[in-house]
Amino acid sequence: MPEHRRRPSSSTSDAASDAASGATLVRSFWSGTITFGLVSIPVDLFAAVVPRQKSMKLVDEEGHPLGRRYWCPKHEKVLDDDELVRGYETDSGKVIVVTDEEFASVAPEKSRDIELKRFVAVDDIPPFFFDRPYFLAPDERAGKAYALLAETMARTGKAGIGSFVMRDHEYLVAIVAEQGMLRAEVLRYADELRTPEQVGLPKAEKGDAARVRAFAKEIDALAEAKIDPAELADLEAETLRTAAEQKANSGKGVVSMAELEGDEDDAATSAQVIDLMQVLRESLGARAGKGTSSAAPEAPSPARKSAAKKTASPKAPPAKKTAKKTKRAAE
Amino acid sequence: MAARAIWKGSLVLGEHEVPVKMYSAVQDRAVHFHLLHDKDLSPVEQRIVRKDNGHEVPKEQQRKAFPLDDQRAVILEPDELARLAPESDRAIRLLRFVPRDALGNQWFDRPYYLGPDEKGDVDYFALADALGGKERIGIARWVMRDKRYVGALAVGDDGYLRMTTLRRSEQVLDVPAIHPDKARTPSAAEVKLAEQLVDSITGPFTPEEWHNDHRERLHQLIEAKAKGTKLTLVTAKPKEATSDLTESLRASLAQARSGAAAKGKKVA
Repeated sequence: MPEHRRRPSSSTSDAASDAASGATLVRSFWSGTITFGLVSIPVDLFAAVVPRQKSMKLVDEEGHPLGRRYWCPKHEKVLDDDELVRGYETDSGKVIVVTDEEFASVAPEKSRDIELKRFVAVDDIPPFFFDRPYFLAPDERAGKAYALLAETMARTGKAGIGSFVMRDHEYLVAIVAEQGMLRAEVLRYADELRTPEQVGLPKAEKGDAARVRAFAKEIDALAEAKIDPAELADLEAETLRTAAEQKANSGKGVVSMAELEGDEDDAATSAQVIDLMQVLRESLGARAGKGTSSAAPEAPSPARKSAAKKTASPKAPPAKKTAKKTKRAAE
Repeated sequence: MAARAIWKGSLVLGEHEVPVKMYSAVQDRAVHFHLLHDKDLSPVEQRIVRKDNGHEVPKEQQRKAFPLDDQRAVILEPDELARLAPESDRAIRLLRFVPRDALGNQWFDRPYYLGPDEKGDVDYFALADALGGKERIGIARWVMRDKRYVGALAVGDDGYLRMTTLRRSEQVLDVPAIHPDKARTPSAAEVKLAEQLVDSITGPFTPEEWHNDHRERLHQLIEAKAKGTKLTLVTAKPKEATSDLTESLRASLAQARSGAAAKGKKVA
């Protein structure tokens, strides 16, 4: 979803300054404030999904790590970040340079705040809109307000809608709760989704009754209550791993990872690993528990029940590993 | 105007096969930039180089290494990778149908429309009708352009089938349920007030009312610069937006605020 090619290291600067503010011990790649009504909740944002495990390192034939560099063919030289500018090519071929300062000035008020301007039923948001999920963790002093919003969203089955600017892009988000945690689900804007008319699908018809019954029967035959995590496993990664292990056993093609690490590209894009649970313990005094919530001051509402149902759906099988460490991966 | 199908395949469930065409449901609205050398605005290229000495490495000498553990990685040669490519048979196999809420939103990756293939529209709409009556989504696997995909098959209110690719189970991070300690657990009264506040600004999900202001202002800024308009950064700063949406949202929020001001302070 990047709207322009980003300079390799620009993503780290924000995180560094956020950390320097001293409010939280953990660095995140975006820090800001969620507001609803007069309630404001300072939060940090962490990626809730990690890149696929099949990602491989680029090397040369001997295994030397490779990286991307910006190269100016005219001056025949490798360029540093501060020698790069962004240019927009107009229809007439004119190139317009947009400076960092101009970028920053496009929507300064939104770069720190997510104002929840409207609440909607989570089920009202069609799946097509969901783009990317992030976890939100409260600032140390905001634990109670955070818990309040999470509780309210869970009880009502609602999501708060707002938008904010992160790294020169504006994102539409739905703030939803699951198991006591808040997630910011980045949504697509309506104009980023095609309609069936725009796609040019033929006019919808009514299905022939006998055929509809036949298909309904097939669906019933395959009906299950839950997802099977094996069906969502990354077969590509498994295949690659198996092949790599076999080859390693034969002793061929093995290169040292230590050499591959410490490369600045990785440092800039995936940054450091944080312990999300540690953050939550500090800001919420939270205990991690099983499905049932003692936080509910009253009887569970239907919305909470459906949230609990979701919990039962299997997620990442190596739960321990993933829960403890959240890689602060860039997009 | 009509979009071009990106792929053709067949939905396979039980004994039935329904030929479909796949279309991307996403359209790129991004503002794209070129990276330029600041000295004279000459266009910049990306080069793949050795990190230790900066020498360019041409495509045919580039290899991929799969990390085994923290110490070692294994180089997989192009012919070895080619042999691992899955077989493509154009079948989109339906594995199971689960209740809609069996999958959280964090699983959804990229959305596609499925449209009827010329010869299969009778079955296409019959399947859409059958699925529409079930409140279920289908979990499917297929191979497209040498890559494996997992997706969720659903039907929209408009009667068309949709396939949304799913993230892999290893990608979606699991978190245990969080229970705040006593001091940070809101009281029943506070929750009630918060619910009232939320109710007061609750409405339908109307995506077309949300605009990417940043993108729109960026276009305006570029246009202004292209015309040679001298910009001060102050002018680039957003004015109070005057669209009806913003006005109405402001008004409703102000209303909510005036009602909840006193309460809001308590819970903040």
